[in-house]
Order: sequence, then C-alpha cells, then structure tokens
Amino acid sequence: MNMIELRNVSKVYEDKSVALKNINIGIKKGEFVFLVGPSGSGKSTIIKLLIREIPVTGGAIFIAGRNICNLKYSRVPQLRRNIGSVFQDFKLLPNKTVFENVAFALEVIGRPGYVIKLQVPQVLKLVGLEHKMKSYPHQLSAGEQQRVSIARAFVNRPPILLADEPTGNLDPVNSEGIMKLLSRINLIGTTVAMATHDRNIVNSMRRRVIELEEGEVIRDQKRGVYGS
Amino acid sequence: MIFRPKYFFGETFSGLRRNFLMFFTAISTVAITLFMVGFFLIIVYDVQAILSSVKSQVEVAVYLKDNATQEFRDYLESEIKSWEEVSEVVFISKEQALEKFKADNEGSDILKEIQGNPLPASFEIRLSSPEKVEQIALRFLTKEGTYIDGVDEVIYGQNYVQKLFQITAIAGSIAFLVIVMLLLAAIVLIYNTIRLSIHARRKEIEVMKLVGATNWFVRIPFLFEGFFEGVVGSIIAVIMLFFISNYLLIRGEKAIIDTLRVKELAILGSSNVILYIYAGIIILGGLIGLLSSSFALKRYIRV
Repeated sequence: MNMIELRNVSKVYEDKSVALKNINIGIKKGEFVFLVGPSGSGKSTIIKLLIREIPVTGGAIFIAGRNICNLKYSRVPQLRRNIGSVFQDFKLLPNKTVFENVAFALEVIGRPGYVIKLQVPQVLKLVGLEHKMKSYPHQLSAGEQQRVSIARAFVNRPPILLADEPTGNLDPVNSEGIMKLLSRINLIGTTVAMATHDRNIVNSMRRRVIELEEGEVIRDQKRGVYGS
Repeated sequence: MIFRPKYFFGETFSGLRRNFLMFFTAISTVAITLFMVGFFLIIVYDVQAILSSVKSQVEVAVYLKDNATQEFRDYLESEIKSWEEVSEVVFISKEQALEKFKADNEGSDILKEIQGNPLPASFEIRLSSPEKVEQIALRFLTKEGTYIDGVDEVIYGQNYVQKLFQITAIAGSIAFLVIVMLLLAAIVLIYNTIRLSIHARRKEIEVMKLVGATNWFVRIPFLFEGFFEGVVGSIIAVIMLFFISNYLLIRGEKAIIDTLRVKELAILGSSNVILYIYAGIIILGGLIGLLSSSFALKRYIRV
C-alpha cells in the first residue's frame, strides 16, 4: 500500500490558473522522494494539497489509504498531526525560544508537560541544537533555524515529513547538513517528500525523482538526478 | 479536546506580556470609549432625574371666588380627589393664604398696604402624572371657555410646563441617539484594535494550524485575551467614572438643585442606578472584547 497516493489529481486556483493536471503519484512507506521542476511547475501545490491547506479541484488523494479530500474540516488537524511539514521560510515564532517553538507542536496536540520536557530535548539533540534551547530564532543562523523547524515537524514522530524548498534560503554547507538530517529521519522509517529546485542536492542524494512541468509529471525515476 | 487551563492561561498571559503595546492600546481604547459611553449615560440619567423631579412638582392651583359656598368646596374637593391623575389635594383657606403671604413677605412694606384679606381660597393639586396637567386644568372650564361657577382662576404655569415637557422629550431622544452612536463608535474602535492585534499575530495562528491545532485550541487564548482586555479596560473606565461622578457631578447636581429649588431629587451618589451603570459597563466591556476577538479571528483561522 502506498503511504501517499495521488489519483488523477488536478488543481485550478481561484484565479483560473491551472496548477496541476491529472497527476498520478504513489509514494511507498519509508520512501524518500524529490519533487523537482521550475517555479510554478506545481511542486508546492502538491505539498499544500497533502496537508489540506487547499482543496483539490479533481481526483483524490490518499494518505495511509484514507481519502483526505472528503475529510471533514474538523478532522484536518488530525491529518496534520500525522504529517510534519518544513518550509523554505522556517515559519518559526520569533517571540518563542527554540525549546518553546518545538514544544508548541506538542502543546497544540495536547501532550502533557512531562512528555514535552522529555521529547523536546531529545529531538533537539537529533538536530544538533540541544545547546541552543534557550536561544531565540533571530539569534540562530538560517541553517540552525531550519533545523529547529525540522525538530518541530518531527518531534511528534509523524509517519510522513513534507519539505517545501527546505534549503531554498541556505548556503551549500548548511543545505548539506539539512539533507543529512532528512536522510536520518527517513532512515528511521519516515516517508519523506521534498520539493526542491536545488540541482546539486538532488544529484548527490540519488533518490527517487519526480519531475513536474506545467502541472504534469514528465519524469518519475528511481535513484534519479535533477535534469535529464 | 482536553481543556487545559494552565496552557491557556499561560498562553493568554505570555501573549499579553509579549504584545504589551497592543495590549495597552486595546485596554486604553476600551477604557476611553466606554468611559465616554458611561459618562454620557450618567449625565443623561442625571438630567432625566432632575427633569422628572421638576415635573413631579408641577401643580395646579385652583383659586375660588370669595362667594363660593362650603357645599361647593366640599363637592369640588371630593370630585378632584376622585381623579386618578391626582396624588394630593390641599385646601388653603383665605386665612391660611394670608398667613402664608405674610410669612413670605415678612418685614416688607407691602404688608402695610394690605387691608382686610384680598387673597382667595384655593385648592393646590399635585399630580401623579404631570403630563396630564393641561387636561386637568381644562376640567375647570365650561364648554364656552369660561371657568365654572365658583372658580376664579386656574393656574398651572401654562407656558412653562409645556416647554418643560417638550424639552424633556427632545432631550430624551437626542440623548438616546448620542448614546447609541457612542456605543457604536466604541464597538467599532474596540473591534478594530483587537483585530489589529490578532493580525499582528497571524503567523502564530498559521503555525498553530500547520502543526495540527484545532480551531478551538487556537481560538481560546485569543478569546481570553479579548475578554480580559475588555474587562480590564471597562474597570478602568468605571474607576474614572466613579471619581468623576463623586467629585464633579454631585457638586454640579447640588448647584442645580439649589437653583431649581428641586426638593426631592434622586441624587446620583445615593442611587442604585449608578451601580447598575457600572456593572453594565463592565459586562459590556467583557462582551465586546470577547465578541470582537471571536469575529476578528474568523478571517485568520481558516488556514
């Protein structure tokens, strides 16, 4: 069974621009997949559809076998608790410390205090920031901020991790660090899908590559490279 | 969702601490606007109280001819007493009238001029419904427009009374309009301030929704905050009103009472109404804060 499955998915935005045309993608549990393609090819749209930030126009999306397109609005938070998401702009709260930013994700889902005190340092250790728990985001480098955001996405141990251009704001050294981190998270068994147009990263990782162009899948290759 | 007071209060107060400027703005907006509403409400209540006690002193004086018989007097008295608009009838005989006149003008030269008793006997009629004063006065007239036999004259301050009632009515509706307008302005201002403070934290809401917070989870700290701002702001307004009404209004009232010679006046400080006004303002403040947050959130919560 596929962990993530898109069946004949299309998306037309309110301004009539067509983002996705009849997309079919299946991603297995524990896979690591790159979504590549130029800006506007539909990568980010797929990420947004998966966390139900926007609704599909046609087709169906299955996560762990469940159609999320007819999910009740009140069930959406439940879906998002099973999907960690990481963004290009980190989306950290500037007035909360590193610890609080990560703890936030657990508080939101109603985890008790002792679990938070246990799990947050663990995950911060995983991303190598256990010594910066009390720092505020603006005191960290961009690479460190992104690692905090990955810690927040992963602290709840979701089965799926989505990353939308996670290295878009980072230099090559920091990007490499982030990729190592995502690989480790993937090794633990997490299904990872990452949208990127960073050629070097894709080429060095040699993972499955799904290439999009103008809303269509033009290539789906195991152990692929960025461009043909 | 499990209700966790510690988290929600914690979030509310850390929210307040971190957004102190927004918090301060919201509270002072509530305090100032509700102070205006309350201040005007108290003034209006006061003016109405003064007017109604002036009104309650509207009297009809029925002067009798000297040749009116005892029989006629008795008949007239029982007739007047049977009218339901009348609260009190006092008969003043010629002698009593003269004594009163003498007492009022003690030491004046005018007393030397008086020979015999030129003053008429009269009935003084107090009314329970002062607005009916004209109708009452008309009952002493015949169809031809002259006074009935035995009655010399009926005086009730014709022009003065009518103007008083007109002014009361107009003042009442203007006051109502102004209060409604002030209240609307207060609601719009408070709503906008709270909306701005939520707008400033839209990123926080976005992140909460992304990590799987339910709408209620996002909403509750904001609702607490709006409610808290509304209540604190209105308590400040009430404190200001308390001082203003105790130190300024009551003095003003006394001056008015002295000039108008109003006898029985519901003095503000001693009245329960002001406590209702205070309580109303605090409840209103809390409600406006809560509802403003709730409405303002709608736009941001659907991520």
